[in-house]
Amino acid sequence: MLRTALRNILAHKARLAMTALAVCLGVAFVSGTLVFADSTAEAHRAAASKNFADIAVTVTEKAPEPGSPAQRRTGVLDDMLVGKLARVPGVAAVRPSVDGSATLNAADGTPLRAGRAWSNLAAAYIPGKDGKDSRHPLAEGRPPSHSGELAVDSGTAAAGHFRVGDTITLATDGPVLTKRLVGIVTTDDTRVTAGGTLALFDRATAQKLFSTPGHYTGIDLSAAPGTTAYELADRVAAVLPADRAEATTGHAQAAQQAVLVDTLTRGYEKVPMVFAGVSLFIGSFLIVNTFTMLVARRTRETALLRAIGASRRQVSRSVLLEALVVGLVASAAGFLLGLGIAMVLPGVLGTGGNTLPRGPLVIGPRSLVAAFGVGVGVTVLAAWLPSRRAARIAPVEAMRTAEQPPVATRFRLRGAVGLGLLVLGVGWLVALSGAKDASEENLRNAMAGCALLVAALIVLAPLLAVPVIRLTGRLTGGFGITGRLARENALRDPRRTAATAATLLISTALVTGLAVIGHSTGQALDRQAAAGLGADYVISTRSTMTGIDPSAVRRVADTAGVRTANAVTDSTMFTGGGVRQISGVDPATVNDTMKLDFVSGSAENLAPGRIAISSTLARELAVTTGDVLDIGLGRSERFTEYTVVGVYKDNPIARDALATRTEVARNSLLPGSVQRVLVRADGTEPKTLEAGLHTALGNNPLLQVQDRDQLVREAAGTMADLLNVMYGMLGIGVVISALGIVNTLAMSVAERTREIGALRALGMDRAGIRRMIRLEALTVAGFGTLLGLTGGLFGAWAVGSLANGAIDQYSLTLPWGTLLLVCLISLTFGALAAAVPARRAAALNPLEAVMEA
Amino acid sequence: MTADPLALNPVTGIAAATTDLSKVYGRGDTRVVALDRVSIAFREGEFTAIMGPSGCGKSTLMHCAAGLDSPTSGSVRIGTTELGGLTDRQLTQLRRDRIGFIFQAFNLLPLLTALENITLPMDIAGLHPDQEWLERVVSMVGLAERLGHRPAQLSGGQQQRVAVARALASRPAIVFGDEPTGNLDSRAGAEVLGFLRESVRELGRTVVMVTHDPVAAGYADRVVFLSDGRLVEEMVQPTQDRVLDLMKSLGARSHTG
Repeated sequence: MLRTALRNILAHKARLAMTALAVCLGVAFVSGTLVFADSTAEAHRAAASKNFADIAVTVTEKAPEPGSPAQRRTGVLDDMLVGKLARVPGVAAVRPSVDGSATLNAADGTPLRAGRAWSNLAAAYIPGKDGKDSRHPLAEGRPPSHSGELAVDSGTAAAGHFRVGDTITLATDGPVLTKRLVGIVTTDDTRVTAGGTLALFDRATAQKLFSTPGHYTGIDLSAAPGTTAYELADRVAAVLPADRAEATTGHAQAAQQAVLVDTLTRGYEKVPMVFAGVSLFIGSFLIVNTFTMLVARRTRETALLRAIGASRRQVSRSVLLEALVVGLVASAAGFLLGLGIAMVLPGVLGTGGNTLPRGPLVIGPRSLVAAFGVGVGVTVLAAWLPSRRAARIAPVEAMRTAEQPPVATRFRLRGAVGLGLLVLGVGWLVALSGAKDASEENLRNAMAGCALLVAALIVLAPLLAVPVIRLTGRLTGGFGITGRLARENALRDPRRTAATAATLLISTALVTGLAVIGHSTGQALDRQAAAGLGADYVISTRSTMTGIDPSAVRRVADTAGVRTANAVTDSTMFTGGGVRQISGVDPATVNDTMKLDFVSGSAENLAPGRIAISSTLARELAVTTGDVLDIGLGRSERFTEYTVVGVYKDNPIARDALATRTEVARNSLLPGSVQRVLVRADGTEPKTLEAGLHTALGNNPLLQVQDRDQLVREAAGTMADLLNVMYGMLGIGVVISALGIVNTLAMSVAERTREIGALRALGMDRAGIRRMIRLEALTVAGFGTLLGLTGGLFGAWAVGSLANGAIDQYSLTLPWGTLLLVCLISLTFGALAAAVPARRAAALNPLEAVMEA
Repeated sequence: MTADPLALNPVTGIAAATTDLSKVYGRGDTRVVALDRVSIAFREGEFTAIMGPSGCGKSTLMHCAAGLDSPTSGSVRIGTTELGGLTDRQLTQLRRDRIGFIFQAFNLLPLLTALENITLPMDIAGLHPDQEWLERVVSMVGLAERLGHRPAQLSGGQQQRVAVARALASRPAIVFGDEPTGNLDSRAGAEVLGFLRESVRELGRTVVMVTHDPVAAGYADRVVFLSDGRLVEEMVQPTQDRVLDLMKSLGARSHTG
């Protein structure tokens, strides 16, 4: 039987190619997304990780006791200590460092790669004994030698279009600085090479910026051969002032960092994994469908084998073997194709300012296992059912004539199962629409309900095909007999039509659901942001680690056209349950720039020891005005009791809680700092005012000035990501289903050779045949799209009610443009998919009909 | 359809004709001459049967005459239209408007009802059938009761009657039948042949039929015999017995020759 299986594979090259292509594409999508996920995660990790490989021990200052108001920088890491450490036995080299962060303006004046706070590095150029800094080898120019100079790495220079001699605007945390670029270095710090920036200053300047004059932020030691890092750490610790500095091994730092990086990067895996899951699901469909048709096509052949004495087992084993061979070969090809996809994906997804970090492709074992598991596993599984069907073929089938009436299948069981699933799914979702918040459990329920709904649609699709296609047939009926024939052909085998349409069904349902929810949420957030914002402009730092320099705040207030400028200090607040964002404001003026809608209490009562919280937080913590909350503000690790003096409706400008600015600022990460300035204009021309604001801020790359529209858009920013995901899934779905349509039509054309020949003999021209096949493809695609649209809309409606609980302004709004686009894309690809089978059908000779088979 | 001048052309009276028609397959050692300079005319209002042993080229002759296959040399005319210079599209239109087909395997579209199958050529052309004519044809083949049925619900004889009605429905200048009774039992076959003869006698159609069955040939007005790609004999007003006798003598000649 092995020979028969192999012969079969070789005998039907075209069919084989289609099947292999199906498997290959399925595998390519799955492995491509997985490799992409691994590579992205790795690149993100690299972007956030410092390399500790050649560092045995690092000496740093001990963090001051929490709450101690004393001088933070005790200044113990000076040159004297460096000299002392160099004499510790076992120390091979000592390398002091002054690290901080600096954001640069590119040559065109816009902030350069300012998205991720931890990848805009700054350091001191510290020459070793040979006068060169081994960490930062010079590629061009010379090292910075005084406070007016700096050097950058080659990647930063390229991205910012800097040349040696340029004047660069930058900021470390406070005011804007300008320095002349004197050198370009290279670096192997992955945080920089993965898409960050590096600015180097001379030692004194760096110390002034990031430490205190004469002091370092850390001293790295490497161990002499024969000395372990732990021994060294112990010896070093002995010479350090115990209360003011500490020694940590590189290992410990690396481990600590790994934990941090994992938390930072965990989110990045989700999106590609969703892609992988979707493509796995849809890809499996394609493979199953193709194999089913393949076996169906070979009924006569199989029956002949049975007639000449092959046992059922041999027949089914032959089919399985064939699947195994096809699966193996196609998976290997698919995996290679997947690597290509993984290489292209970052470019496709990283649109706009939010570029993904770069890094080499990472081919993990997971991708390999998944690729072959899917390719071979799904293919063999897909072949298993049809192989049983093949085995059941009676030998007498071989004697039948080629032309057979369409198989009437019993649909009763399918109907019962499908209806059961549908009732369950719909019931689940409807029951959920009573729930009023987007808790994790409710979301999981919603997803389960949606999955049930989609499963029900897939099971019921063959049953729904008849009425739905009858209906769409009204449209294609306009094309006369070709349209009529297209409709009837699509209905000839409803199960095959449904299976072909299933891929489009899934992708359309997903995309429709996401689009509707995304659009509705976006609109709601827009309304919420617009409703809560009393200011015309918001000036903000990109993170709570940096502040707006007080003189800049004054300059903003003095800018012509500014009526009010209110400073806000942002910080974090620990409630027993988690970390929240708290805004420190001036109670007297807060209403000038924030539109707060108090459910109870008011902002006027804010004072030290008193806070106001958002209604969501109030609900989650089950407190209301007058109650007492135990919270920890910012850096302070002690929990203090605060009285709740007001509860306001959720407001993205006020965030989760409000307190007086002095109180928040005292405990913020950068004590006394300001993170936002809310500006109210007096009606000056917006362009002039904006320019004035930028001038007042000295064009600081750390700060952004946003008007109302930009803020509203930012509030909906996560929705833009969702949009990318959505179109990605639509892309996968459309490509795979186009392939499925090609497959189905090619088989169906091959089956109908005589019929098409007869049509040609009776006077239908080639254009007519082509039109007929195209309309059939459109009918199938339309069916899948319509069903998916229905399912997606229903799901969006049901899940939307959860969002309704979370956001008051939520209401179901349909993104007509997107929905129309989705339909158009699906139908266009359906029609395009028909091109090859249509051409083949049109090329058929009318003689085929008259010649006896 | 009555606008077709050729069908009523009193001068020629020829519905279709071939002149020096040759068809050669392959080349070199595998060269097979299927038709060897065949010249034949099919008169209007005549029922012609083409006979001959298997492989004599009778099917090829019909395919070429009907514009389904292209000859190696020689010419074919339908009415006064020379097929040689026509494009595929023109040939398709010619088949649609001026030629009717009856196939051995019926070749009805399984998804269309009997009536839809009958009007299919006109639907393809985007024309409305002549109701009166359609009713006449349908009642002649006795299908009035079964017009809503699909082919799968009809017996073989009934299916071929639908095919006959389809071939006649658009009033083609000529109807070609390729072994129209080949898949039918003798009673159903006799019915179909009766309808074909009726369509010539009563409706004034022209029918050309390929067959190897002497019984079928007995229904024709004229029988032509082909052997090895050549026209060898012709018989007017045949009967089953005379056809059988001639076949025997032809068989003997080819054996001795």
